[in-house]
Amino acid sequence: MKIRFSTLGLLLLPLALFSGCKKDSDSLEPTGSVNFTVRNVAGSQDLVLNNTVATTATGETFTTETFEYYLSNIKLIKSDGSTYAAPDTYFLVDQAKPSSLSFTVPGVPAGDYTGVSFIVGVDAQKTGLTDPATFTGDLNQANNMYWTWNSGHIFLKLQGTITSTTPNKPLTCHIGGYTDPNNAIVTATPSFSGAKLTVQANHTPQLHLVANVTKVFDGPKPVALSTFTGAHMPSAQSVQLAQNYAAGMFSVEKITTE
Amino acid sequence: MRRACSASRKSLPNKLTTVAAPRRTPWRGWLAGILLLGTLGAAGSAAVAHLRRPNAAFVAPANFPALVYDVAKNQPYEATFELGRQLFYDPRLSSDGTISCGSCHQQSRAFTDGQALALGVAGRRSARNTPALQNLGWHRSFMADGGVRGLELQALAPLTSPQEMNEPLADALAKLNADPEYRRRFAAIYGPGKIDTPQFLKALAQFTSALVSADSRYDKHVRHEPGGTLTAPEQRGLALFQQKCSGCHATDLFTDESFRNNGLDRTFPVDSGRAHISQLPADAGRFRVPSLRNVARTAPYMHDGRFATLPEVLAHYDHGVRPSRTLDPLLRQPDGRLGLPLTAQEQQELLAFLNTLTDNSLLTNPRFAPPPAAARNQLPLAGVGR
Ligand code: HEC
Ligand code: HEC
Repeated sequence: MKIRFSTLGLLLLPLALFSGCKKDSDSLEPTGSVNFTVRNVAGSQDLVLNNTVATTATGETFTTETFEYYLSNIKLIKSDGSTYAAPDTYFLVDQAKPSSLSFTVPGVPAGDYTGVSFIVGVDAQKTGLTDPATFTGDLNQANNMYWTWNSGHIFLKLQGTITSTTPNKPLTCHIGGYTDPNNAIVTATPSFSGAKLTVQANHTPQLHLVANVTKVFDGPKPVALSTFTGAHMPSAQSVQLAQNYAAGMFSVEKITTE
Repeated sequence: MRRACSASRKSLPNKLTTVAAPRRTPWRGWLAGILLLGTLGAAGSAAVAHLRRPNAAFVAPANFPALVYDVAKNQPYEATFELGRQLFYDPRLSSDGTISCGSCHQQSRAFTDGQALALGVAGRRSARNTPALQNLGWHRSFMADGGVRGLELQALAPLTSPQEMNEPLADALAKLNADPEYRRRFAAIYGPGKIDTPQFLKALAQFTSALVSADSRYDKHVRHEPGGTLTAPEQRGLALFQQKCSGCHATDLFTDESFRNNGLDRTFPVDSGRAHISQLPADAGRFRVPSLRNVARTAPYMHDGRFATLPEVLAHYDHGVRPSRTLDPLLRQPDGRLGLPLTAQEQQELLAFLNTLTDNSLLTNPRFAPPPAAARNQLPLAGVGR
């Protein structure tokens, strides 16, 4: 086995050099794709924009006009603890755009995976770049998820109306910030609960995520809507909300195979 | 490639030199580009062909520090500069078609507007004074609070601000894509396809980065060039400036790019400056030290335009400085007095010196003026936009 690989490696070496220093083993490992779907909910109800009334743990309520967030730096974890970090994965999930509620990560090495992790937002290295040509695809500033006066992406946008106060008041959460002390980059690791995600060549399993909007406020550091004045910039308040949604917003509903 | 590029940037010649820029040194090509783009008259197509060649001879501002802008990512070309100029002066990029970048950034005022607070669509006022646009390739950050981290990114702020041009980026791109002339000009540079965010921002940056001011009488003086004679009062003003002001208004860019509190206020309820971005109490009331090039043309002064004249500014430094926790130490005298004591005569001499920083190569160069075709664009664009 060993001999075969190194011989092959030698044979492939000139090719690898030509193709820009790719790892020679890459081309040997079979890979498959993983399809992610996201279902945004408010507690037990599917989230319908401008309609669903979401209720927080303390019984406060709000409705949602806009719910958008980035999922990036997707990693799949095997039972032995080894991980596959999918390169260049930046997806903008926008409840108003059904096509954004599903996306596919290609090139995942075949194997059985038992966990997943992703940044809710954009990593500091990427969002801190200043050349607009580096913001391809969903990162394009034309998506309106970028602070023009304080360079950097908005990681999560939740806009709506707080309906449990009299009078009702507007709800605005624009969460972002990638430098201390107001670094709002958080990682979510929703559990597979013992299930397995099996990746094979020519075969696309589906990982169904659920995202519960009320968890922006409910979580390790609950935020009371009655006194909430909004989050519009990198701030301690933004970090607090990010810690909440990192902890509890995402869960794995099921894993299916077509 | 990038490493080689930044290494060669450090070797920016620090004496006035005419260099035949060798191949593979992008910054030199760029400097050549911006300086030629800036200084050529309406030189026509022979000059254009000249600019596209990497080995054009050029003169670098010998008295400037190292360039910051990453030129390799936006190589200057005549056609791109002209496109950026067209965009800069095109009011159709605002929500109601009335305001262009050039409305607030007017060439004869070193690209300021004479207003205390900038005036945008529908008579709306910005929170800040319009700063001069010059030597932007040497900036480490943009805006009075440094919130914007790159020249290309900067244009997004006025474009999308409700107080300025009030135009979402997606809508601006849609307008450009609906205009056959823009489609043609972008395609000629970037190839076929839709006009996208990087193309738009890079073209604009080719114009704004070309706005170099390095030819005032003061510049000629320090470079020992003809026309660089300073009068005795101007010379005394220069000496005073070096003694009292250059701790902050440093180098021949007249800024050290830092954020400082120059004692305008005791508290900062309206505009906390750098703290608005950093959220640190220690940054409250600190603003980016502005360049003083062309300062005689950029009234009114300070981030909120509170001073109408330069004598008022000097009076502030002499006896108007207010204490606060973040007041810059340079404005506290050893005897506890605040500010920079300046006699009436010293103020006259400083004024005389500040006037030597006026640079007609920026203020009157026809290449920085609205392009002839801009007249066509004064008409509203039918059927497009909102
Ligand atoms: C309504 C007036 C207005 C318009 C229109 C406008 N600007 Fe500005 N510009 C300003 C103000 C005010 C600032 C300073 C803002 C701050 O410090 O927060 C500024 C800052 C800048 C800066 C940063 C300068 C520095 O020293 O940091 C650049 C570059 C610039 N503008 C370019 C542009 C471009 C390009 C456009 C067109 C897309 C434009 N501006 C449109 C008013 C305007
Ligand atoms: C402690 C640092 C510091 C010193 C010393 C200092 N300045 Fe300033 N200066 C600043 C800062 C910071 C600003 C911008 C403040 C703002 O925008 O509100 C400024 C603004 C100015 C402006 C207004 C420029 C514009 O375009 O609005 C002028 C003119 C000026 N200074 C002249 C001087 C002169 C002349 C001296 C010496 C007598 C001097 N400064 C000393 C920090 C300093």
